[in-house]
Amino acid sequence: MDITFTNVSYIYQRNTPFAHQAIKDLNFHIPSGSFVAIVGHTGSGKSTLLQHLNGLVTPSEGEVKIGEYKLTPKEKPTNLKELRSRVGVVFQYPEHQLFEETVAKDIAFGPENFGVPKETINERIKRVIPAVGLSEDMLERSPFDLSGGQMRRVAIAGVLAINPDVLVLDEPTAGLDPRGQKEIMEMFNTMHKEQGLTTILVTHSMEDALKYADHVIILNKGTKYMEGSPEEVFTQKDALKQVQLDVPEVIQLLNAFEDKFSISIPFHGQTVQEIAETIHSIVKDGVSNE
Amino acid sequence: MSRKLIEFRDVSFRYGEEQPWVLRNCSFEIYEGEWVAIIGHNGSGKSTIAKLINGLLFPQKGEILIDGQQVNEETIWDIRKEVGMVFQNPDNQFVGTTVQDDVAFGMENRGTPREEMVTRIEETLSAVGMEDYRFTEPHRLSGGQKQRVAIASVLAISPKVLILDEATAMLDPKGRTEIMRTVSNVQNKEDLSLITITHDLQEVVQADRVIVMNKGEIWDRATPREIFSKKDSLREIGLDVPFVAILADELKETGINLTKEPLNHEELLEDLWILHSQT
Ligand SMILES: Nc1ncnc2c1ncn2[C@@H]1O[C@H](COP(=O)(O)OP(=O)(O)OP(=O)(O)O)[C@@H](O)[C@H]1O
Ligand SMILES: Nc1ncnc2c1ncn2[C@@H]1O[C@H](COP(=O)(O)OP(=O)(O)OP(=O)(O)O)[C@@H](O)[C@H]1O
Ligand SMILES: [Mg+2]
Ligand SMILES: [Mg+2]
Repeated sequence: MDITFTNVSYIYQRNTPFAHQAIKDLNFHIPSGSFVAIVGHTGSGKSTLLQHLNGLVTPSEGEVKIGEYKLTPKEKPTNLKELRSRVGVVFQYPEHQLFEETVAKDIAFGPENFGVPKETINERIKRVIPAVGLSEDMLERSPFDLSGGQMRRVAIAGVLAINPDVLVLDEPTAGLDPRGQKEIMEMFNTMHKEQGLTTILVTHSMEDALKYADHVIILNKGTKYMEGSPEEVFTQKDALKQVQLDVPEVIQLLNAFEDKFSISIPFHGQTVQEIAETIHSIVKDGVSNE
Repeated sequence: MSRKLIEFRDVSFRYGEEQPWVLRNCSFEIYEGEWVAIIGHNGSGKSTIAKLINGLLFPQKGEILIDGQQVNEETIWDIRKEVGMVFQNPDNQFVGTTVQDDVAFGMENRGTPREEMVTRIEETLSAVGMEDYRFTEPHRLSGGQKQRVAIASVLAISPKVLILDEATAMLDPKGRTEIMRTVSNVQNKEDLSLITITHDLQEVVQADRVIVMNKGEIWDRATPREIFSKKDSLREIGLDVPFVAILADELKETGINLTKEPLNHEELLEDLWILHSQT
Protein backbone atom coordinates (compact mmCIF):
# COMPACT_ATOMS: atom_id res chain seq x y z
CA MET A 1 0.00 0.00 0.00
CA ASP A 2 1.25 3.50 -0.79
CA ILE A 3 1.82 5.69 2.25
CA THR A 4 1.72 9.49 2.08
CA PHE A 5 2.18 12.07 4.81
CA THR A 6 1.12 15.59 3.85
CA ASN A 7 1.95 18.46 6.22
CA VAL A 8 1.48 16.21 9.23
CA SER A 9 1.89 17.56 12.75
CA TYR A 10 1.19 15.76 15.97
CA ILE A 11 0.84 17.35 19.39
CA TYR A 12 0.61 15.27 22.56
CA GLN A 13 -1.79 16.60 25.24
CA ARG A 14 -3.00 19.29 22.94
CA ASN A 15 -4.69 22.31 24.54
CA THR A 16 -3.13 21.65 27.93
CA PRO A 17 -0.15 23.32 29.58
CA PHE A 18 1.78 20.11 28.84
CA ALA A 19 1.23 20.23 25.09
CA HIS A 20 4.23 18.79 23.28
CA GLN A 21 4.73 18.86 19.55
CA ALA A 22 6.31 15.55 18.56
CA ILE A 23 5.87 15.86 14.77
CA LYS A 24 6.07 19.05 12.77
CA ASP A 25 4.97 19.59 9.19
CA LEU A 26 6.14 16.22 7.96
CA ASN A 27 5.92 15.30 4.28
CA PHE A 28 6.97 12.10 2.56
CA HIS A 29 5.76 9.45 0.18
CA ILE A 30 6.47 5.73 0.38
CA PRO A 31 5.51 3.75 -2.72
CA SER A 32 3.95 0.34 -2.18
CA GLY A 33 6.57 -2.40 -1.97
CA SER A 34 9.40 -0.24 -0.60
CA PHE A 35 11.60 -1.08 2.35
CA VAL A 36 12.07 2.18 4.22
CA ALA A 37 14.28 2.79 7.23
CA ILE A 38 13.47 5.65 9.59
CA VAL A 39 16.34 6.81 11.76
CA GLY A 40 16.80 9.65 14.18
CA HIS A 41 18.06 10.66 17.60
CA THR A 42 16.20 9.78 20.84
CA GLY A 43 12.87 11.58 20.90
CA SER A 44 12.94 12.67 17.24
CA GLY A 45 9.39 11.41 16.66
CA LYS A 46 9.90 7.98 15.09
CA SER A 47 7.49 6.03 17.28
CA THR A 48 4.92 8.81 17.07
CA LEU A 49 5.12 8.68 13.27
CA LEU A 50 4.61 4.91 13.30
CA GLN A 51 1.50 5.18 15.47
CA HIS A 52 -0.22 7.03 12.65
CA LEU A 53 0.20 4.09 10.32
CA ASN A 54 -2.43 1.91 11.97
CA GLY A 55 -4.59 4.70 13.30
CA LEU A 56 -3.48 4.53 16.93
CA VAL A 57 -3.27 8.28 16.69
CA THR A 58 -4.60 10.69 14.08
CA PRO A 59 -2.66 13.73 12.95
CA SER A 60 -3.25 17.01 14.78
CA GLU A 61 -2.77 18.71 11.43
CA GLY A 62 -2.36 17.51 7.88
CA GLU A 63 -3.24 14.21 6.28
CA VAL A 64 -1.99 10.63 6.35
CA LYS A 65 -2.93 8.23 3.56
CA ILE A 66 -2.29 4.50 3.76
CA GLY A 67 -3.59 2.86 0.59
CA GLU A 68 -7.25 3.86 0.42
CA TYR A 69 -7.45 4.73 4.13
CA LYS A 70 -7.27 8.37 5.10
CA LEU A 71 -6.53 9.96 8.49
CA THR A 72 -7.01 13.66 9.18
CA PRO A 73 -7.64 15.63 12.38
CA LYS A 74 -11.37 15.26 11.70
CA GLU A 75 -11.67 11.79 10.21
CA LYS A 76 -10.53 8.35 11.16
CA PRO A 77 -11.34 5.56 8.74
CA THR A 78 -14.69 3.97 9.64
CA ASN A 79 -13.08 0.61 8.98
CA LEU A 80 -10.16 1.03 11.38
CA LYS A 81 -10.20 -2.69 12.12
CA GLU A 82 -9.69 -3.47 8.46
CA LEU A 83 -6.73 -1.06 8.36
CA ARG A 84 -5.21 -2.83 11.37
CA SER A 85 -5.64 -6.22 9.73
CA ARG A 86 -3.49 -4.95 6.86
CA VAL A 87 -0.89 -2.93 8.78
CA GLY A 88 0.97 -4.97 11.41
CA VAL A 89 2.96 -3.02 14.00
CA VAL A 90 5.73 -4.43 16.19
CA PHE A 91 6.06 -1.93 19.05
CA GLN A 92 9.28 -0.70 20.61
CA TYR A 93 8.70 -2.51 23.93
CA PRO A 94 7.24 -5.99 23.41
CA GLU A 95 5.46 -5.95 26.79
CA HIS A 96 3.14 -3.34 25.35
CA GLN A 97 1.58 -5.83 23.01
CA LEU A 98 1.49 -9.00 25.10
CA PHE A 99 -1.50 -9.59 27.34
CA GLU A 100 -2.93 -13.09 26.94
CA GLU A 101 -2.41 -15.99 29.36
CA THR A 102 -0.42 -18.11 26.99
CA VAL A 103 1.93 -17.55 24.10
CA ALA A 104 -0.43 -19.48 21.77
CA LYS A 105 -3.40 -17.27 22.71
CA ASP A 106 -1.31 -14.17 22.31
CA ILE A 107 -0.28 -15.08 18.79
CA ALA A 108 -3.86 -16.08 17.94
CA PHE A 109 -5.35 -12.85 19.29
CA GLY A 110 -4.82 -10.71 16.18
CA PRO A 111 -6.04 -13.14 13.55
CA GLU A 112 -9.02 -14.19 15.75
CA ASN A 113 -10.00 -10.58 16.12
CA PHE A 114 -9.94 -10.22 12.34
CA GLY A 115 -12.14 -13.30 11.85
CA VAL A 116 -9.54 -15.74 10.56
CA PRO A 117 -10.82 -19.35 10.89
CA LYS A 118 -9.39 -21.47 13.70
CA GLU A 119 -7.61 -24.00 11.46
CA THR A 120 -5.94 -21.25 9.49
CA ILE A 121 -4.76 -19.66 12.75
CA ASN A 122 -3.27 -22.94 13.89
CA GLU A 123 -1.44 -23.31 10.61
CA ARG A 124 -0.11 -19.79 10.94
CA ILE A 125 1.11 -20.44 14.49
CA LYS A 126 2.99 -23.50 13.22
CA ARG A 127 4.59 -21.32 10.57
CA VAL A 128 5.50 -18.23 12.62
CA ILE A 129 6.90 -19.96 15.71
CA PRO A 130 10.00 -21.33 13.97
CA ALA A 131 10.29 -18.14 11.89
CA VAL A 132 10.99 -16.15 15.05
CA GLY A 133 13.28 -18.81 16.51
CA LEU A 134 10.95 -20.14 19.22
CA SER A 135 10.01 -23.76 19.81
CA GLU A 136 6.48 -25.17 20.08
CA ASP A 137 6.95 -26.22 23.70
CA MET A 138 6.72 -22.52 24.59
CA LEU A 139 3.16 -22.17 23.30
CA GLU A 140 1.48 -22.99 26.60
CA ARG A 141 3.71 -20.75 28.73
CA SER A 142 2.71 -17.34 29.96
CA PRO A 143 4.30 -14.63 27.83
CA PHE A 144 5.17 -12.73 31.01
CA ASP A 145 7.35 -15.56 32.29
CA LEU A 146 9.72 -15.28 29.38
CA SER A 147 13.08 -13.59 29.00
CA GLY A 148 13.19 -10.19 27.28
CA GLY A 149 14.35 -11.61 23.95
CA GLN A 150 11.78 -14.41 24.07
CA MET A 151 9.00 -11.85 24.65
CA ARG A 152 10.23 -9.86 21.67
CA ARG A 153 10.00 -12.98 19.51
CA VAL A 154 6.42 -13.70 20.66
CA ALA A 155 5.41 -10.10 19.89
CA ILE A 156 6.85 -10.43 16.39
CA ALA A 157 5.13 -13.79 15.88
CA GLY A 158 1.79 -12.22 16.80
CA VAL A 159 2.18 -9.57 14.12
CA LEU A 160 3.31 -12.03 11.46
CA ALA A 161 0.25 -14.17 12.22
CA ILE A 162 -2.10 -11.50 10.90
CA ASN A 163 -0.42 -11.70 7.47
CA PRO A 164 -0.21 -7.94 7.03
CA ASP A 165 0.48 -6.12 3.74
CA VAL A 166 2.43 -3.42 5.54
CA LEU A 167 4.96 -4.39 8.19
CA VAL A 168 5.82 -1.64 10.66
CA LEU A 169 8.78 -2.42 12.90
CA ASP A 170 9.91 -0.22 15.80
CA GLU A 171 13.44 -1.39 16.67
CA PRO A 172 12.43 -5.01 16.25
CA THR A 173 15.85 -6.45 17.04
CA ALA A 174 16.45 -4.62 20.33
CA GLY A 175 16.93 -7.28 22.98
CA LEU A 176 17.65 -10.09 20.53
CA ASP A 177 20.93 -11.97 20.72
CA PRO A 178 23.34 -11.48 17.78
CA ARG A 179 22.18 -14.58 15.92
CA GLY A 180 18.53 -13.64 16.52
CA GLN A 181 19.16 -10.13 15.20
CA LYS A 182 20.59 -11.49 11.99
CA GLU A 183 18.03 -14.25 11.49
CA ILE A 184 15.02 -12.08 12.20
CA MET A 185 16.18 -9.28 9.88
CA GLU A 186 16.80 -11.87 7.17
CA MET A 187 13.34 -13.30 7.77
CA PHE A 188 11.69 -9.86 7.45
CA ASN A 189 13.66 -9.24 4.29
CA THR A 190 12.65 -12.55 2.74
CA MET A 191 8.98 -11.96 3.58
CA HIS A 192 9.23 -8.44 2.25
CA LYS A 193 10.45 -9.74 -1.10
CA GLU A 194 8.40 -12.91 -1.42
CA GLN A 195 5.11 -11.39 -0.32
CA GLY A 196 5.65 -7.97 -1.84
CA LEU A 197 5.17 -6.21 1.51
CA THR A 198 5.71 -2.56 2.27
CA THR A 199 8.14 -2.49 5.20
CA ILE A 200 8.83 0.45 7.51
CA LEU A 201 11.72 -0.11 9.90
CA VAL A 202 12.70 2.18 12.73
CA THR A 203 16.22 1.28 13.68
CA HIS A 204 19.31 2.55 15.43
CA SER A 205 21.41 0.10 13.47
CA MET A 206 22.79 2.06 10.54
CA GLU A 207 24.17 -1.29 9.37
CA ASP A 208 20.68 -2.78 9.05
CA ALA A 209 19.38 0.37 7.37
CA LEU A 210 22.24 0.16 4.88
CA LYS A 211 21.79 -3.54 4.27
CA TYR A 212 18.03 -3.86 3.95
CA ALA A 213 16.42 -0.52 3.16
CA ASP A 214 16.04 0.93 -0.31
CA HIS A 215 15.15 4.32 1.11
CA VAL A 216 16.12 6.12 4.32
CA ILE A 217 14.26 8.96 6.06
CA ILE A 218 16.10 10.84 8.80
CA LEU A 219 14.03 12.61 11.41
CA ASN A 220 15.22 15.44 13.60
CA LYS A 221 13.03 17.10 16.22
CA GLY A 222 9.87 15.88 14.54
CA THR A 223 10.67 16.96 11.01
CA LYS A 224 12.29 15.34 8.03
CA TYR A 225 15.97 16.21 7.98
CA MET A 226 17.10 14.20 4.99
CA GLU A 227 15.94 11.37 2.75
CA GLY A 228 17.45 9.28 0.01
CA SER A 229 19.06 5.96 -0.79
CA PRO A 230 21.18 4.47 2.02
CA GLU A 231 24.39 5.14 0.06
CA GLU A 232 23.43 8.78 -0.48
CA VAL A 233 22.45 9.40 3.10
CA PHE A 234 25.09 7.46 4.97
CA THR A 235 28.10 8.94 3.29
CA GLN A 236 27.22 12.42 4.55
CA LYS A 237 29.16 12.25 7.76
CA ASP A 238 29.00 15.94 8.67
CA ALA A 239 25.29 16.33 7.98
CA LEU A 240 24.57 13.29 10.14
CA LYS A 241 26.78 14.57 12.91
CA GLN A 242 24.66 17.72 13.02
CA VAL A 243 21.73 15.59 14.20
CA GLN A 244 23.84 13.42 16.50
CA LEU A 245 23.90 10.42 14.22
CA ASP A 246 26.84 8.42 12.98
CA VAL A 247 27.57 6.76 9.68
CA PRO A 248 27.53 2.92 9.66
CA GLU A 249 30.57 1.29 11.21
CA VAL A 250 32.05 0.16 7.91
CA ILE A 251 32.06 3.75 6.65
CA GLN A 252 33.50 4.98 9.97
CA LEU A 253 36.35 2.56 9.51
CA LEU A 254 36.98 3.67 5.93
CA ASN A 255 37.02 7.29 7.11
CA ALA A 256 39.50 6.47 9.88
CA PHE A 257 41.59 4.61 7.32
CA GLU A 258 41.67 7.67 5.11
CA ASP A 259 42.74 9.85 8.05
CA LYS A 260 45.66 7.55 8.78
CA PHE A 261 46.80 6.54 5.30
CA SER A 262 45.65 9.61 3.35
CA ILE A 263 44.11 7.26 0.79
CA SER A 264 40.39 7.27 0.32
CA ILE A 265 38.39 4.07 -0.20
CA PRO A 266 34.93 5.29 -1.30
CA PHE A 267 32.05 3.15 -0.07
CA HIS A 268 29.66 1.79 -2.68
CA GLY A 269 28.27 -1.30 -1.03
CA GLN A 270 31.39 -3.51 -1.01
CA THR A 271 31.44 -6.68 1.09
CA VAL A 272 33.83 -6.97 4.04
CA GLN A 273 35.94 -9.32 1.92
CA GLU A 274 36.25 -6.80 -0.89
CA ILE A 275 37.20 -4.10 1.58
CA ALA A 276 39.85 -6.37 3.08
CA GLU A 277 41.33 -6.94 -0.36
CA THR A 278 41.47 -3.22 -1.09
CA ILE A 279 43.11 -2.53 2.27
CA HIS A 280 45.55 -5.36 1.62
CA SER A 281 46.69 -3.88 -1.65
CA ILE A 282 47.18 -0.43 -0.12
CA VAL A 283 49.02 -1.69 2.93
CA LYS A 284 51.24 -4.13 1.05
CA ASP A 285 51.78 -2.38 -2.25
CA GLY A 286 50.91 1.17 -1.42
CA VAL A 287 48.34 1.32 -4.21
CA SER A 288 44.61 0.97 -4.36
CA ASN A 289 43.39 -1.65 -6.83
CA GLU A 290 40.20 0.26 -7.48
CA MET B 1 43.88 -7.94 45.20
CA SER B 2 40.94 -5.60 45.65
CA ARG B 3 37.75 -6.41 47.50
CA LYS B 4 35.30 -9.04 46.27
CA LEU B 5 31.96 -7.31 45.94
CA ILE B 6 29.93 -10.11 44.42
CA GLU B 7 30.39 -13.81 44.81
CA PHE B 8 28.25 -16.62 43.39
CA ARG B 9 29.03 -19.99 44.98
CA ASP B 10 27.68 -22.90 43.01
CA VAL B 11 24.33 -21.23 42.41
CA SER B 12 21.42 -23.05 40.77
CA PHE B 13 18.01 -21.54 40.21
CA ARG B 14 14.59 -22.45 38.82
CA TYR B 15 11.40 -20.40 38.70
CA GLY B 16 9.30 -23.17 40.31
CA GLU B 17 9.54 -26.75 41.45
CA GLU B 18 7.99 -28.11 38.28
CA GLN B 19 10.10 -25.86 36.12
CA PRO B 20 13.47 -26.54 34.54
CA TRP B 21 16.68 -25.23 36.09
CA VAL B 22 17.54 -21.96 34.37
CA LEU B 23 20.88 -21.54 36.14
CA ARG B 24 23.10 -24.49 36.92
CA ASN B 25 26.12 -24.48 39.25
CA CYS B 26 27.21 -20.95 38.53
CA SER B 27 30.26 -19.66 40.39
CA PHE B 28 31.99 -16.36 39.79
CA GLU B 29 33.38 -13.31 41.55
CA ILE B 30 33.28 -9.64 40.73
CA TYR B 31 35.69 -7.21 42.34
CA GLU B 32 35.45 -3.62 43.43
CA GLY B 33 36.11 -1.22 40.58
CA GLU B 34 35.69 -3.91 37.95
CA TRP B 35 33.53 -3.71 34.82
CA VAL B 36 32.13 -7.09 33.86
CA ALA B 37 29.95 -7.69 30.81
CA ILE B 38 27.55 -10.64 30.84
CA ILE B 39 26.61 -11.91 27.40
CA GLY B 40 24.67 -14.93 26.18
CA HIS B 41 21.80 -16.01 23.93
CA ASN B 42 18.19 -15.08 24.72
CA GLY B 43 17.00 -17.08 27.70
CA SER B 44 20.52 -18.06 28.81
CA GLY B 45 19.92 -16.71 32.34
CA LYS B 46 21.47 -13.24 32.35
CA SER B 47 18.52 -11.30 33.80
CA THR B 48 17.97 -14.07 36.31
CA ILE B 49 21.53 -13.52 37.59
CA ALA B 50 20.82 -9.79 37.92
CA LYS B 51 17.64 -10.44 39.91
CA LEU B 52 19.50 -12.83 42.20
CA ILE B 53 22.15 -10.21 42.93
CA ASN B 54 19.68 -7.72 44.34
CA GLY B 55 17.51 -10.29 46.05
CA LEU B 56 14.45 -10.17 43.83
CA LEU B 57 14.92 -13.93 43.59
CA PHE B 58 16.70 -16.41 45.86
CA PRO B 59 18.64 -19.46 44.67
CA GLN B 60 17.48 -22.98 45.56
CA LYS B 61 21.07 -24.16 45.67
CA GLY B 62 24.33 -22.44 46.46
CA GLU B 63 24.83 -18.99 47.94
CA ILE B 64 25.35 -15.42 46.88
CA LEU B 65 27.46 -12.92 48.81
CA ILE B 66 27.41 -9.17 48.27
CA ASP B 67 30.32 -7.41 49.94
CA GLY B 68 30.73 -10.42 52.18
CA GLN B 69 27.06 -10.52 53.22
CA GLN B 70 24.85 -13.41 52.20
CA VAL B 71 21.76 -12.38 50.22
CA ASN B 72 18.65 -13.54 52.11
CA GLU B 73 15.30 -12.21 53.35
CA GLU B 74 16.98 -10.38 56.23
CA THR B 75 19.78 -8.74 54.32
CA ILE B 76 18.00 -7.69 51.11
CA TRP B 77 17.06 -4.22 52.34
CA ASP B 78 20.65 -3.42 53.19
CA ILE B 79 21.87 -5.00 50.01
CA ARG B 80 19.45 -3.12 47.79
CA LYS B 81 20.90 0.11 49.13
CA GLU B 82 24.25 -0.92 47.69
CA VAL B 83 23.02 -2.45 44.46
CA GLY B 84 21.54 -0.21 41.79
CA MET B 85 19.81 -1.87 38.89
CA VAL B 86 18.30 -0.77 35.62
CA PHE B 87 15.85 -3.29 34.23
CA GLN B 88 15.47 -4.39 30.66
CA ASN B 89 12.15 -2.53 30.37
CA PRO B 90 12.33 0.79 32.24
CA ASP B 91 8.53 0.96 32.55
CA ASN B 92 8.84 -1.71 35.22
CA GLN B 93 10.81 0.52 37.52
CA PHE B 94 9.43 4.05 37.30
CA VAL B 95 7.97 5.07 40.63
CA GLY B 96 7.79 8.85 40.43
CA THR B 97 4.98 10.82 38.80
CA THR B 98 7.56 13.09 37.19
CA VAL B 99 11.06 12.46 35.92
CA GLN B 100 12.45 14.54 38.76
CA ASP B 101 10.50 12.61 41.42
CA ASP B 102 11.73 9.41 39.94
CA VAL B 103 15.34 10.44 40.29
CA ALA B 104 14.66 11.71 43.82
CA PHE B 105 12.92 8.54 44.97
CA GLY B 106 15.98 6.36 45.51
CA MET B 107 17.79 9.17 47.28
CA GLU B 108 14.86 9.80 49.61
CA ASN B 109 14.91 6.15 50.56
CA ARG B 110 18.55 6.47 51.48
CA GLY B 111 18.04 9.62 53.48
CA THR B 112 20.04 11.90 51.21
CA PRO B 113 19.89 15.52 52.48
CA ARG B 114 17.56 17.81 50.55
CA GLU B 115 20.22 20.15 49.16
CA GLU B 116 22.37 17.33 47.95
CA MET B 117 19.31 15.81 46.28
CA VAL B 118 18.65 18.97 44.34
CA THR B 119 22.18 19.15 42.98
CA ARG B 120 22.31 15.44 42.20
CA ILE B 121 19.02 15.57 40.29
CA GLU B 122 20.42 18.35 38.19
CA GLU B 123 23.77 16.64 37.68
CA THR B 124 22.46 13.24 36.76
CA LEU B 125 19.70 14.48 34.46
CA SER B 126 22.10 16.67 32.52
CA ALA B 127 24.63 13.83 32.43
CA VAL B 128 22.07 11.79 30.45
CA GLY B 129 20.79 14.76 28.45
CA MET B 130 17.33 14.86 30.03
CA GLU B 131 17.45 18.13 31.99
CA ASP B 132 14.60 19.58 29.91
CA TYR B 133 12.20 16.84 30.96
CA ARG B 134 12.23 17.22 34.77
CA PHE B 135 8.49 17.72 35.03
CA THR B 136 7.43 15.17 32.43
CA GLU B 137 5.60 12.01 33.46
CA PRO B 138 7.96 9.07 32.82
CA HIS B 139 5.40 7.11 30.78
CA ARG B 140 5.14 10.03 28.36
CA LEU B 141 8.77 9.74 27.29
CA SER B 142 10.08 8.12 24.13
CA GLY B 143 11.70 4.67 24.41
CA GLY B 144 15.24 6.00 24.56
CA GLN B 145 14.34 8.88 26.88
CA LYS B 146 12.92 6.34 29.36
CA GLN B 147 16.21 4.48 29.37
CA ARG B 148 18.15 7.69 29.93
CA VAL B 149 16.00 8.60 32.93
CA ALA B 150 16.26 5.10 34.39
CA ILE B 151 20.04 5.40 34.23
CA ALA B 152 19.98 8.85 35.83
CA SER B 153 17.86 7.51 38.70
CA VAL B 154 20.31 4.77 39.49
CA LEU B 155 23.40 6.99 39.13
CA ALA B 156 21.86 9.42 41.60
CA ILE B 157 22.04 6.91 44.45
CA SER B 158 25.75 6.14 43.85
CA PRO B 159 25.52 2.44 44.59
CA LYS B 160 28.53 0.19 45.17
CA VAL B 161 27.30 -2.23 42.53
CA LEU B 162 25.59 -1.04 39.38
CA ILE B 163 23.79 -3.52 37.13
CA LEU B 164 22.61 -2.38 33.71
CA ASP B 165 20.38 -5.00 32.09
CA GLU B 166 20.30 -4.00 28.41
CA ALA B 167 19.80 -0.47 29.69
CA THR B 168 20.95 1.21 26.47
CA ALA B 169 19.27 -1.08 23.94
CA MET B 170 16.94 1.67 22.70
CA LEU B 171 19.64 4.30 22.21
CA ASP B 172 21.31 5.24 18.96
CA PRO B 173 25.01 4.26 18.76
CA LYS B 174 26.23 7.74 19.59
CA GLY B 175 23.82 8.13 22.48
CA ARG B 176 24.89 4.73 23.73
CA THR B 177 28.57 5.66 23.62
CA GLU B 178 27.93 8.94 25.43
CA ILE B 179 25.86 7.34 28.17
CA MET B 180 28.36 4.54 28.66
CA ARG B 181 31.14 7.13 28.93
CA THR B 182 29.18 8.90 31.65
CA VAL B 183 28.59 5.63 33.48
CA SER B 184 32.20 4.57 33.19
CA ASN B 185 33.41 7.96 34.53
CA VAL B 186 31.24 7.51 37.59
CA GLN B 187 32.49 3.96 37.91
CA ASN B 188 36.12 5.05 37.90
CA LYS B 189 35.52 7.94 40.23
CA GLU B 190 33.61 5.94 42.81
CA ASP B 191 35.30 2.61 42.24
CA LEU B 192 32.05 0.78 41.88
CA SER B 193 31.52 -2.62 40.31
CA LEU B 194 29.72 -2.31 37.02
CA ILE B 195 27.85 -5.21 35.47
CA THR B 196 26.46 -4.67 32.01
CA ILE B 197 24.21 -7.27 30.46
CA THR B 198 24.19 -6.57 26.76
CA HIS B 199 23.94 -7.84 23.20
CA ASP B 200 25.95 -4.86 21.99
CA LEU B 201 29.39 -6.11 21.06
CA GLN B 202 30.89 -2.60 21.09
CA GLU B 203 29.92 -2.27 24.71
CA VAL B 204 31.41 -5.66 25.59
CA VAL B 205 34.77 -4.57 24.21
CA GLN B 206 35.04 -1.86 26.85
CA ALA B 207 34.59 -4.19 29.83
CA ASP B 208 37.51 -5.53 31.88
CA ARG B 209 36.12 -9.02 31.83
CA VAL B 210 33.34 -10.96 30.13
CA ILE B 211 31.18 -13.77 31.47
CA VAL B 212 29.57 -15.78 28.69
CA MET B 213 26.36 -17.64 29.54
CA ASN B 214 25.02 -20.56 27.56
CA LYS B 215 21.85 -22.47 28.50
CA GLY B 216 22.04 -21.50 32.16
CA GLU B 217 25.69 -22.36 32.57
CA ILE B 218 28.83 -20.28 32.56
CA TRP B 219 30.39 -21.08 29.22
CA ASP B 220 33.48 -18.93 29.54
CA ARG B 221 34.98 -15.97 31.37
CA ALA B 222 37.94 -14.01 30.11
CA THR B 223 39.00 -10.63 28.75
CA PRO B 224 37.09 -9.31 25.73
CA ARG B 225 40.14 -9.96 23.54
CA GLU B 226 40.32 -13.59 24.53
CA ILE B 227 36.58 -14.06 24.16
CA PHE B 228 36.40 -12.48 20.72
CA SER B 229 39.22 -14.61 19.40
CA LYS B 230 36.89 -17.64 19.73
CA LYS B 231 34.84 -16.60 16.75
CA ASP B 232 33.47 -19.91 15.58
CA SER B 233 32.48 -21.29 18.94
CA LEU B 234 30.83 -17.99 19.88
CA ARG B 235 28.72 -18.19 16.74
CA GLU B 236 27.72 -21.74 17.61
CA ILE B 237 26.11 -20.48 20.83
CA GLY B 238 24.17 -17.69 19.11
CA LEU B 239 26.69 -14.89 19.62
CA ASP B 240 29.02 -13.02 17.33
CA VAL B 241 32.12 -10.85 17.25
CA PRO B 242 32.43 -7.11 16.52
CA PHE B 243 32.80 -5.80 12.97
CA VAL B 244 36.48 -5.04 13.49
CA ALA B 245 37.14 -8.69 14.35
CA ILE B 246 35.30 -9.82 11.21
CA LEU B 247 37.37 -7.46 9.09
CA ALA B 248 40.54 -8.65 10.83
CA ASP B 249 39.67 -12.20 9.80
CA GLU B 250 39.15 -11.19 6.20
CA LEU B 251 42.48 -9.37 6.26
CA LYS B 252 44.17 -12.52 7.55
CA GLU B 253 42.56 -14.41 4.64
CA THR B 254 44.31 -12.05 2.24
CA GLY B 255 47.62 -12.88 3.89
CA ILE B 256 48.05 -9.97 6.28
CA ASN B 257 49.54 -10.98 9.64
CA LEU B 258 48.13 -8.87 12.45
CA THR B 259 50.04 -8.84 15.72
CA LYS B 260 46.91 -9.14 17.87
CA GLU B 261 43.14 -9.56 17.80
CA PRO B 262 42.02 -5.91 17.38
CA LEU B 263 39.24 -4.64 19.63
CA ASN B 264 38.64 -1.32 17.95
CA HIS B 265 39.41 0.65 14.80
CA GLU B 266 42.48 2.35 16.29
CA GLU B 267 44.16 -0.93 17.19
CA LEU B 268 43.54 -2.38 13.76
CA LEU B 269 44.70 0.70 11.89
CA GLU B 270 47.81 1.03 14.06
CA ASP B 271 48.73 -2.56 13.27
CA LEU B 272 48.17 -1.96 9.55
CA TRP B 273 50.20 1.23 9.72
CA ILE B 274 53.20 -0.57 11.17
CA LEU B 275 52.95 -3.22 8.45
CA HIS B 276 52.66 -0.51 5.82
CA SER B 277 55.76 1.33 7.00
CA GLN B 278 57.72 -1.95 6.91
CA THR B 279 56.93 -2.61 3.24
N1 LIG C 1 9.17 -15.35 35.62
C1 LIG C 1 9.59 -16.46 35.00
N2 LIG C 1 8.95 -17.64 35.18
C2 LIG C 1 9.38 -18.77 34.56
N3 LIG C 1 10.44 -18.82 33.73
C3 LIG C 1 11.11 -17.69 33.51
C4 LIG C 1 10.73 -16.44 34.13
N4 LIG C 1 11.58 -15.48 33.72
C5 LIG C 1 12.46 -16.08 32.88
N5 LIG C 1 12.18 -17.40 32.75
C6 LIG C 1 12.93 -18.38 31.96
O1 LIG C 1 14.25 -18.48 32.48
C7 LIG C 1 15.22 -18.57 31.44
C8 LIG C 1 16.28 -17.48 31.66
O2 LIG C 1 15.66 -16.23 31.51
P1 LIG C 1 16.44 -14.85 31.64
O3 LIG C 1 15.42 -13.78 31.64
O4 LIG C 1 17.39 -14.92 32.76
O5 LIG C 1 17.26 -14.86 30.25
P2 LIG C 1 18.21 -13.75 29.62
O6 LIG C 1 19.55 -14.37 29.46
O7 LIG C 1 18.11 -12.49 30.38
O8 LIG C 1 17.58 -13.59 28.15
P3 LIG C 1 17.32 -12.30 27.22
O9 LIG C 1 18.60 -12.06 26.47
O10 LIG C 1 16.26 -12.77 26.28
O11 LIG C 1 16.89 -11.17 28.08
C9 LIG C 1 14.44 -18.44 30.13
O12 LIG C 1 14.30 -19.72 29.54
C10 LIG C 1 13.10 -17.90 30.54
O13 LIG C 1 12.07 -18.40 29.70
N1 LIG D 1 2.57 9.80 25.41
C1 LIG D 1 3.27 10.93 25.26
N2 LIG D 1 2.86 12.09 25.81
C2 LIG D 1 3.56 13.23 25.67
N3 LIG D 1 4.73 13.32 24.98
C3 LIG D 1 5.20 12.20 24.41
C4 LIG D 1 4.50 10.95 24.52
N4 LIG D 1 5.21 10.00 23.86
C5 LIG D 1 6.30 10.64 23.36
N5 LIG D 1 6.31 11.94 23.69
C6 LIG D 1 7.33 12.96 23.32
O1 LIG D 1 7.32 13.13 21.91
C7 LIG D 1 8.63 13.19 21.37
C8 LIG D 1 8.79 12.10 20.32
O2 LIG D 1 8.69 10.84 20.94
P1 LIG D 1 8.82 9.46 20.14
O3 LIG D 1 8.45 8.37 21.07
O4 LIG D 1 8.07 9.55 18.87
O5 LIG D 1 10.40 9.46 19.83
P2 LIG D 1 11.32 8.37 19.13
O6 LIG D 1 11.94 9.00 17.94
O7 LIG D 1 10.57 7.12 18.92
O8 LIG D 1 12.48 8.17 20.21
P3 LIG D 1 13.28 6.85 20.73
O9 LIG D 1 14.36 6.58 19.73
O10 LIG D 1 13.84 7.30 22.04
O11 LIG D 1 12.30 5.76 20.86
C9 LIG D 1 9.58 13.04 22.56
O12 LIG D 1 10.10 14.28 22.91
C10 LIG D 1 8.73 12.48 23.68
O13 LIG D 1 9.12 12.98 24.93
MG1 LIG E 1 10.65 5.25 19.83
MG1 LIG F 1 17.29 -10.60 29.97
